[in-house]
Amino acid sequence: MLDRLGTTLKDALKKLAGKTVIDREAVDELVRDLQRALLQADVNVKLVMGLSQAIKTRSLQEEPQKGMSVREHVLRIVYQELVRLMGPAGEVRLEPQVILLAGLQGSGKTTTAAKLARYFQRKGIRPGVICADTFRPGAYEQLSTHCARINVPCIGDPEQKDALPIVKAGLTSLAGAEVVIVDTQGRHALEEDLIQEIIAINEITRATHRWLVLDAAIGQQAREQAQRFHDAITIDGVIITKMDGTAKGGGSLSAVAETKSGIVFIGSGETVEDLERFDPDSFISRLLGMGDLKALVERAEETVKTEDLDVNAMMRGKFSLRDMYKQIEALNKMGPLKQIMSMLPMGNVELPSDVYDMTSTKMSRYRIIMDSMTGAELDDPGLIGSARLHRIAKGAGASADEVRELLKYHKMMKKTLKGVRGGAGKFNLQRLMKKFGGM
Amino acid sequence: MFEGLKSRLQQIQAKIGSSVHEEEPLPAGEVAETAVLGSPEKKAPSLVDKIKVLVTDRELIISDKDLKETLDELEIVLLENDVALSVTEEILTRVRRDLTGSRRRIREDVETVIITTLRSAILSVLGEGFDLIAYIKTHERPVKILFTGVNGTGKTTTIAKVGSYLRKQGFSVVIGAGDTFRAGALAQIDLHAKRLGIKVIQHQEGADPSAVLYDAVQYALAHHVDVVLADTAGRFHNRSNLMSQLGKMKRVMQPDLVVYVDEAVAGNDAVTRAAEFDRTIGADAVVLTKADMDPKGGAALSIAHTIGKPVMFLGTGQGYDDIIPFVPTAIVDELLGVSA
Repeated sequence: MLDRLGTTLKDALKKLAGKTVIDREAVDELVRDLQRALLQADVNVKLVMGLSQAIKTRSLQEEPQKGMSVREHVLRIVYQELVRLMGPAGEVRLEPQVILLAGLQGSGKTTTAAKLARYFQRKGIRPGVICADTFRPGAYEQLSTHCARINVPCIGDPEQKDALPIVKAGLTSLAGAEVVIVDTQGRHALEEDLIQEIIAINEITRATHRWLVLDAAIGQQAREQAQRFHDAITIDGVIITKMDGTAKGGGSLSAVAETKSGIVFIGSGETVEDLERFDPDSFISRLLGMGDLKALVERAEETVKTEDLDVNAMMRGKFSLRDMYKQIEALNKMGPLKQIMSMLPMGNVELPSDVYDMTSTKMSRYRIIMDSMTGAELDDPGLIGSARLHRIAKGAGASADEVRELLKYHKMMKKTLKGVRGGAGKFNLQRLMKKFGGM
Repeated sequence: MFEGLKSRLQQIQAKIGSSVHEEEPLPAGEVAETAVLGSPEKKAPSLVDKIKVLVTDRELIISDKDLKETLDELEIVLLENDVALSVTEEILTRVRRDLTGSRRRIREDVETVIITTLRSAILSVLGEGFDLIAYIKTHERPVKILFTGVNGTGKTTTIAKVGSYLRKQGFSVVIGAGDTFRAGALAQIDLHAKRLGIKVIQHQEGADPSAVLYDAVQYALAHHVDVVLADTAGRFHNRSNLMSQLGKMKRVMQPDLVVYVDEAVAGNDAVTRAAEFDRTIGADAVVLTKADMDPKGGAALSIAHTIGKPVMFLGTGQGYDDIIPFVPTAIVDELLGVSA
């Protein structure tokens, strides 16, 4: 996700390590690296310049707090300035409302509409969706298929050429729904008649929220597009989509700055479940490589009972097969491993990429194999010798190689998690997090 | 199109022009004086060299220092216009290398020197265009073209446009509906094809895309169709199983051309993903969509450069005719405001 930007930033900060006095040269260098990192993440050039100026002056003028090293001092300023740039998270109330989605072609509005419906549904609120995209062929089929899968009513008419009657009809027939989500046709700032159309839709629906859906990969264009949409319908929230790619989503910062709103959600996958609430603190924590425990916990609470996944035990490096079993069970509910791992405070630890290459079929195979183990074996995989291994394989209808592979995978996971704990001294996460928590 | 970048580039031209001009009126004597005062720097063209040239050849040498400020500004301009960082640096290096130390006759027009340098620098990162019509004419039919790219860049729309373009040029076309994953994708391409009167080969949703594309090729062989356009589901380059699915499609279909589709509004990530697609699947040409959203066009430079592959088409709108063949020289000339 944002790991690349995180790495560049971490490299820059590393240079400050061990310095006792803040010298201009070191700060200049850090700011230069920071600029490069942010530009590479598609943050608007002017925002970057403003930010780096502020960091430079503050680092040199402000006295470091007592007991803070130079690096912590600068890091704190970088963090604060980034938080300021990002603004607070957009608000999501769990109450009756109408949400209008707007955005460029192909930014992911339709998929996001379905994801939002699912989000509210999961929170116990009745959603309904209107498909006001009358232009793109297949738009209605796409949305209605998604909605049918999650049993959410979807109103639309592929034959109708005019979006306004559909919206009107939709509002009437969805009177029973608590949250109405209106998906619109993709449009961009230079298409005047389409901008007029969305203004009209906005008036008809009297939408509570007008959210701009932005592709994480969008570049410097984000600013102008956001500005135009904001002028037309007053955007009050931004959703970043496709964050599961390698794009860093810096373009969304320009949109946020331009609309003076906040980022509401982050879309990070192709299924309707792949939508997270946005949290500026954790967004930046992730940016700085400090992990995002909060989002993980929030998500875990929602789908998994607390005893299902003991993050603390994992962080202590205690990771038995039983934990892995729970994790695999939880994974189905929580999304791919990579997402979860990227939320843990991993510091600089690079995970081997084959850790992620676990397909869901393999996951279920592993579960079956573990079902054939005894409780003692699950707690202490060290017990499993050749005889036990063959018994397990027979019991699970698997080959001995598969059981070995499972044990190897477990070992790798355990080692990695241990590494997280051991590596913490490098960056002293816990102390930093405590400090930031108190801000 | 590209208005933003165009006007800024032209300003820069003027800037470089004036920074060089300033030095021009210096008579030989004054230059000699500064040579005595100034400490002997270890810069590429030393002052002595300069004087020598001034006196003997009556030429000027453009030094690094003259250019520094302007090049810094050029850097910001390129970045602001979505030219990726690495590509920006490449252009700057080329301009710097070509301009510094270059000798210019006093009477030679400064602008000509600058325009030629900038032009060749940008042209060299843009690469060559790709003439699809000529390619089809010189290759065995059916010519099989596979379209790839990440989600939401406009692959399906592009296929409809390319199909319509080829039909107008007198070729027969069949479309393979290889996006069997995304909800509504089949309905989308079906409707496009119906409007355009193009045959679509499709299976049901969730089918193996390789099988669909195989059938499309078989259909083309049996009916002597000129071109097969193969649609695929959008996928991220960091999903190894989806990428290997694409690899399978390529093995089964044996395309003549793999076309990578990306959008002109994409920022720096365009570079990462283009390179990754090229590495895993390969790409022979690029189609850049949504160029009408981005009056700047920096992404065009970036993608064309990174992937090292020619840009074939620019998508410029929602209509079937909103597609233009990409001719680099024409684009660069327009950017720099030179009448070709």
